Amino acid sequence: MATSSLITDAPDDRPSNIESTALLAGEGRTAAGTGLKRFMWLLAALSVIGFVGIVFRFINDDGRQDWGFYAATLAWMLTIFGGAPMVAIAPALAKADWVRPVARIASLGAIVTAIIALLMIPLLFKFPALTEFSEVLGDDVRRRSIWFDSPSYAPHFWNVLILLTLALVGIAMAYVMAIPDFAAIRDHGTGWKQRWGKKLARGFYGRPQQWEWLKMRIGITGALYFAMLLYTNFTFSLDFAVSLVPGWKDSLFPFYHTISTFQAGIAFTIIGVWAARRWGGMNKYVGHEEMWSLGKFMLATTLLWFYFFYSSFIVFWYGRSESDSATIKLLVSGPYIYLFWAVFFLVFIIPWWIMIWNKVRDSVWGPPIAAFIILFGLFLDRIRIYVSSWSAVPDDLELATTSILQEMPDTMWPDVFDVFIMVGLPALGLLSILLVTRLVPLVSLWEVQQSRLITKPVRFLRSHVKLVGKPD
Amino acid sequence: MQQRRILDEFTINRELLRGNLATPKWWLPTVLGLLVVVLFGFTLMGIMFNRGLGVTGLSRPVYWGLFITTFVFWVGISHAGIMISAILRLTQAEWRRPVTRAAELLTVFSLLTALFFPLIHAGRPWRIFYWITPYDFARGIFPNARSPLVWDPFAIGTYLTGSTLFLYVALLPDLGVLRDRTTGWKRAFYTVASLGWRGNPRQWRLQTVAGILLSALMLPIFVSVHSIVSWDFAVTPAVEGWHSTVFAPYFVVGAVHSGVSAVVTMMALMRWLWGWDNYIRPEHFDALARLLIVVACAWLALTFAELIFGVYSLEAPERALREMQMFEWPWNLLFIIFFLTGFAIPVPLWFFKRVRNNIAMMFWTSILVNIGMWLERFLIIVPGLSRKQPFVFTWDSYQVSPLEWGLLLWSFAWVMMLMLLFSKFFPLIPLFETKESQVFTTDVQIGRVTMPAVIRELD
Repeated sequence: MATSSLITDAPDDRPSNIESTALLAGEGRTAAGTGLKRFMWLLAALSVIGFVGIVFRFINDDGRQDWGFYAATLAWMLTIFGGAPMVAIAPALAKADWVRPVARIASLGAIVTAIIALLMIPLLFKFPALTEFSEVLGDDVRRRSIWFDSPSYAPHFWNVLILLTLALVGIAMAYVMAIPDFAAIRDHGTGWKQRWGKKLARGFYGRPQQWEWLKMRIGITGALYFAMLLYTNFTFSLDFAVSLVPGWKDSLFPFYHTISTFQAGIAFTIIGVWAARRWGGMNKYVGHEEMWSLGKFMLATTLLWFYFFYSSFIVFWYGRSESDSATIKLLVSGPYIYLFWAVFFLVFIIPWWIMIWNKVRDSVWGPPIAAFIILFGLFLDRIRIYVSSWSAVPDDLELATTSILQEMPDTMWPDVFDVFIMVGLPALGLLSILLVTRLVPLVSLWEVQQSRLITKPVRFLRSHVKLVGKPD
Repeated sequence: MQQRRILDEFTINRELLRGNLATPKWWLPTVLGLLVVVLFGFTLMGIMFNRGLGVTGLSRPVYWGLFITTFVFWVGISHAGIMISAILRLTQAEWRRPVTRAAELLTVFSLLTALFFPLIHAGRPWRIFYWITPYDFARGIFPNARSPLVWDPFAIGTYLTGSTLFLYVALLPDLGVLRDRTTGWKRAFYTVASLGWRGNPRQWRLQTVAGILLSALMLPIFVSVHSIVSWDFAVTPAVEGWHSTVFAPYFVVGAVHSGVSAVVTMMALMRWLWGWDNYIRPEHFDALARLLIVVACAWLALTFAELIFGVYSLEAPERALREMQMFEWPWNLLFIIFFLTGFAIPVPLWFFKRVRNNIAMMFWTSILVNIGMWLERFLIIVPGLSRKQPFVFTWDSYQVSPLEWGLLLWSFAWVMMLMLLFSKFFPLIPLFETKESQVFTTDVQIGRVTMPAVIRELD
């Protein structure tokens, strides 16, 4: 490396590229240990319990309000697993070097979006149709929805299609980002992994043109994923929450939903990094720098969560119209007031107070603690939003088409089947990711190697720093 | 991109202090020309104070027109400084360095200009005092502390104070350089202004820490200012189209869109007028255009949400307003121009690297954005008020008067004149940032490729 006169070489104790390849692509690192196998069996058992919960939910179905917790669980899974791949995309577009070792952990979240799309299907059967009331009240009377004149099969078909497209784009992105690693597994692995590596590498040998194509494909799928994630959050949050409640008109809500998706995606990645260090033996590849950078982003999204929440709240508060007051009562001060305060502390106050300290952000334990708190808080937030919405859908046809929520629903509590669903479905999501990591290295091999090429520990006067190349 | 120039400190001082230690030929005629427009603007203000608001096009029920539109526009432009300086400083974007001073300056001067408009809009500006100060307890007249109209002066005042401090702290090392290179009254002025700057390690440490702390402190203020301006409208359910929750982020993102575009305009002018080709390079325009693409797309998503929720409510008045905004003459023409200039023309062009690296193209597209963003504010404020309201029995359509157009022109001339005056006494590109960039960046050779590299802190 050509350096300026103030920059001098420093000892480099990072593992060599050959060592990295052996570690990450080799048998030992990706094989499931006994503890991990047991954990995966536990997740499989919980997944089965989740399916039992869905079946019994159908059998003991007393109306739409019973499906609120199911909707909340799906929304929470979309929030976490859908948001995680953004961590891989956004900083990479900004040429941030630190994101390289965590990109894989983040991108794997996309796999779960396919499961969410399938799990959404039962919920669609419970979804109130847009034109359900037309026979009674006439064709012009319909409830508020972003689908306006109700195109064919709206919103049921379109919601599944949107989520499936998100899943397809996300999986394509995760796959494209893993192609060079499959090639390494083909060249360094053995047995079934090598066979699969050969199939999935699709003749990748690292020729300059192949790298160009790879870079372009990552860029295209990444940009598409970002657009689809925004659109999915838009339609999901409006169809499954806002439009169910008469009078709830909140143009900021889809963005609030999206911001919390980013927040949860970062939190998931942080926990993934922590687990990879704790149990995956990846200490040499992911550490302080990644935690520090992810921590800063998590702090930023935590502050944005508050900003988006407050921006909506203050407009309702000052509006003081009947529908504004009813919306505040339903979501904040009414049947879910305790949940609201729990969310406020768990998603904003506590993580903010933890992450504001530089020493905590620059540690391997601080960000994961905040991340766990945020994920739990966002779970409660989804319950606050979706359970209250599903319990507020009026049975009376005329009430559903009014612009004010006339009857405030009571607080809904989960029954045993809801608990099964709330535990089982996220376990299924996690299990699917762990199954994929049997083949795909948890830390992206080619990204680590590229980072090794373009960065170098150096001394600048008396301080130890890092020189980072910025490729076009 | 390999556009980095290796320059020694002597060259940097000589080139960047060119406008301060000598006067370019074009400078005086330009300032005098702008001064004429500025004086003309102040005369128009005097006429308006003397004859009352009747000389404007404002009438029942359109009480807020061009003045408030221009106020929101200049507050929006002011978001350039913190976006470029604070956010890019915190994210360690290396390309920010030559841009920071101009952006901070634009913040301060556009805020100063923005403040004029609510004052002159009041018709009798001295009465503003009654709105924000509890001046007479005996008569029971109190400002309504719950009104965003009262929060506005506090938010903008805090932002202006913070931005000025931010600008000044970053200016200190350069003032030290100017002190050492001037004589007479100028030297005395720079000696006082540089606060004893000697560039010792302690001073550098304090200056760096102050910069980072101010960056972090200014961020919430930056967000709050335009949010509060947006709440002037959003907390008013009586006006159709205003009572929207998305307004706060919509205004903030729109402000960043117009502010960063204004920085692009300014950078192009700086490069052409002072010949700073070594410092303001196509790579900086390229980076700003990439940033603008992201911001513009976010802004488009928020615009889409704002429009779609207007129709979503299924309420006849709200739908009628949207119909008027988009399909009725002359609003439809304004709407088309707004959309074309604010997004549809510039953003697709920025996707092309050749456009991003073409300074003339960047200059014109950035101007287009600000035409569009001014129209956006006009289309938010005026059509909502123009609709027939309950309990309003007389109304007239709003025609912008020549006096109002004159004051709009004045605001641009005023900002430009202040910038040029500043450029005579202070460097527009930070010297210390440029020198730091020379030290913190280098080129690295990987295989056959040479690429720029920067120093980063180790964990």
